[in-house]
Amino acid sequence: MAMILQGKDVTTPVRENADVCIIGSGCGGGAAAKVLAEAGRRVVVLEEGGYYTASDFDMTEETAYRNLYRERGGQATDDLAVTVLQGRCVGGSSTVNWTTSLRTPEFVLDRWEHVFDVKGLSPKELEPYFERIEKYLNIHLEPEEHHNPNNRIILTGAQKLGYRARAIGRNTRDCQEAGACGLGCPFDAKLSVNVTYIPDAVKAGAVVCADFKAENIEVIGNTKRVYGTVIDRATNARKTDFVVEAPVVILSAGAIHTPALLFRSGLANSSGEVGNHLTLHLTSAVLGMFEGVVYPAGGIPQSAMCDEFLNTNNDGGGFWIEAVPAYPVLASLALPGFGDSHKALMRGYKHIGASIVLVKEIDSEGSVGLNEYGRPVISYNIGEKDLDCMKRGLKTAARIHFAAGAKKVLTLHAEKNEFTSSGELDEGFARARWGRNELSLYSAHPLGTCRMAEHPLRSVVNSHCETHDIGGLFVIDGSVMPTSLGVNPQLTILAVAEKSAEWIAENFPRPQ
Amino acid sequence: MPGTFSRRKFLKETAFGLIVLSAARFIPLDRAAAALKNLPDQLKFFSPMEFLIMENVAGRIVGTPAPGMASVEDVGVALRADAFLAGAEPEIQNQLHELLAVFNGALFAFLFEFQFSSFVNMSPEDQDAYLNGWMTSSLAFRRTAFQALKRLSLTLFYTDPRAWEEIRYDGMFLPWEREKKQ
Repeated sequence: MAMILQGKDVTTPVRENADVCIIGSGCGGGAAAKVLAEAGRRVVVLEEGGYYTASDFDMTEETAYRNLYRERGGQATDDLAVTVLQGRCVGGSSTVNWTTSLRTPEFVLDRWEHVFDVKGLSPKELEPYFERIEKYLNIHLEPEEHHNPNNRIILTGAQKLGYRARAIGRNTRDCQEAGACGLGCPFDAKLSVNVTYIPDAVKAGAVVCADFKAENIEVIGNTKRVYGTVIDRATNARKTDFVVEAPVVILSAGAIHTPALLFRSGLANSSGEVGNHLTLHLTSAVLGMFEGVVYPAGGIPQSAMCDEFLNTNNDGGGFWIEAVPAYPVLASLALPGFGDSHKALMRGYKHIGASIVLVKEIDSEGSVGLNEYGRPVISYNIGEKDLDCMKRGLKTAARIHFAAGAKKVLTLHAEKNEFTSSGELDEGFARARWGRNELSLYSAHPLGTCRMAEHPLRSVVNSHCETHDIGGLFVIDGSVMPTSLGVNPQLTILAVAEKSAEWIAENFPRPQ
Repeated sequence: MPGTFSRRKFLKETAFGLIVLSAARFIPLDRAAAALKNLPDQLKFFSPMEFLIMENVAGRIVGTPAPGMASVEDVGVALRADAFLAGAEPEIQNQLHELLAVFNGALFAFLFEFQFSSFVNMSPEDQDAYLNGWMTSSLAFRRTAFQALKRLSLTLFYTDPRAWEEIRYDGMFLPWEREKKQ
């Protein structure tokens, strides 16, 4: 029976059999579910988070963080130096992202092919997948008049400085421009996985189980059993147990929780590479104070970017600048200091413009492990080159803000680091402290902890996303990315997921 | 960036940290005694002393409201923190208990900031100086602890609509409402 089952509807232990069990319902799991269900497979999708629809999205941070984000938005590295934002609901991070939909840069795919020997993911081979997904999700550029004042800062400032800046592809239809993309779209205008792939998968026969948390996987011959608990959403407590048995299991829990599940299960780690090579697409921001009203939470949150500085040295690194919807909590956490000086900055909230700088890492080192409770621990050390890149990115973003008319620009340093002109930047940046928790850092794009490559000693999965160690056990999510992408990852994950799911459908025929 | 140096490593792996941690739990409190009598009795996570520490911390971090605007007490930040932390993972709960004990401890305040009382017994000016010492400390674990307290305080304050009037945030709205609200 095609359906979405929720924890509240379950009172007794659940035992299910399927052709394919998918753990996670974000870009990786959702896309795989649709492809495999439409190929006639009996698919069960297990989602730890809840199932919410447009009427549940009230456009407040309180509701959104509580219902839709991992650890209520508080997930972070073990030293709290980097906040790692991820969705935890049906649709995963696509339910709460800001709609930016960009193809994988060609230089990244070339590197995957030539350094990691990845097969089948060249720009030419991914082209039909990108085209199909862009059509399915109505990915399009916004007309000039639809950019909000916060995005215009990037377009105007970059243009004055001679930097390349352009509109970003967005997966929306009939967007109401309320600015709530990060809080769940109350109009179903954002074509996220929860309103596209998941309903289509269900229509094709998939069963989606929300509030079902997978705890571990057991391999018995050609069969796998996924064990877990059904969660009472109100208390986050265990309600009952479930077991799903299937010959094919796909882990799509994201780059933090997929390796944690493999660790707990003791699977797929003969290479010792599970949990390694975490990249975060390290992000910080500048805040510009403008005379006019910007209202950084209103309008389309992210519709423009400056991509002048990605891979300019041909070293695979560089930075990228995008707008960020500074909802009150996000703004309050980003602003420096505390107390009355902090409050004074918050009183100027409507006049704040905010731009993020995202660094494509080349020498940072991150990993995911387990704590004594079996939950993931994120470790991350920023490399010197990446830190230098972040400084260059923040200076560039600050210059863009001044060129667009900012009266003051602040970085996200714990101690106020404030500038009134571009001429002050070099000295101010030299004076500033850049240690852990001295600059606020974020990530919304964790990737790479179950790396894809053809060599089984260097990686966890092959080019089809199947683990080297166990036939029929797949990882299809951001974990498999061999390197940081340098762009927002949803389109890449969707394309890799569709391609891998097609391969599974061809190579794991339905049992008679 | 300096090398890895988390608060847990400091507290758990050094004998000095253990002494500080132990001592911090048993520091007598004088000025706080009166305030403790008026605390809510339905706490789920905090001890009464921890509640008082959280309320003081949140008040200093969020800052003084303009006349007529909502304060941390109006919003009930410490009570909201209590409810939030009651549902948190056990490792986070343990860390918060340890953090508040260390943060408030008079011995710790003396060792690191040469203050002669626990946090809740300090004057508001001394509390600000003490918080600033944690925020800007050369020890990474103290900066981490400050960030944890800052996040908790600001998140629980600014998610409440009563906090929005002072910053003139009108909530989310549709384009055709924009002119009216801005």
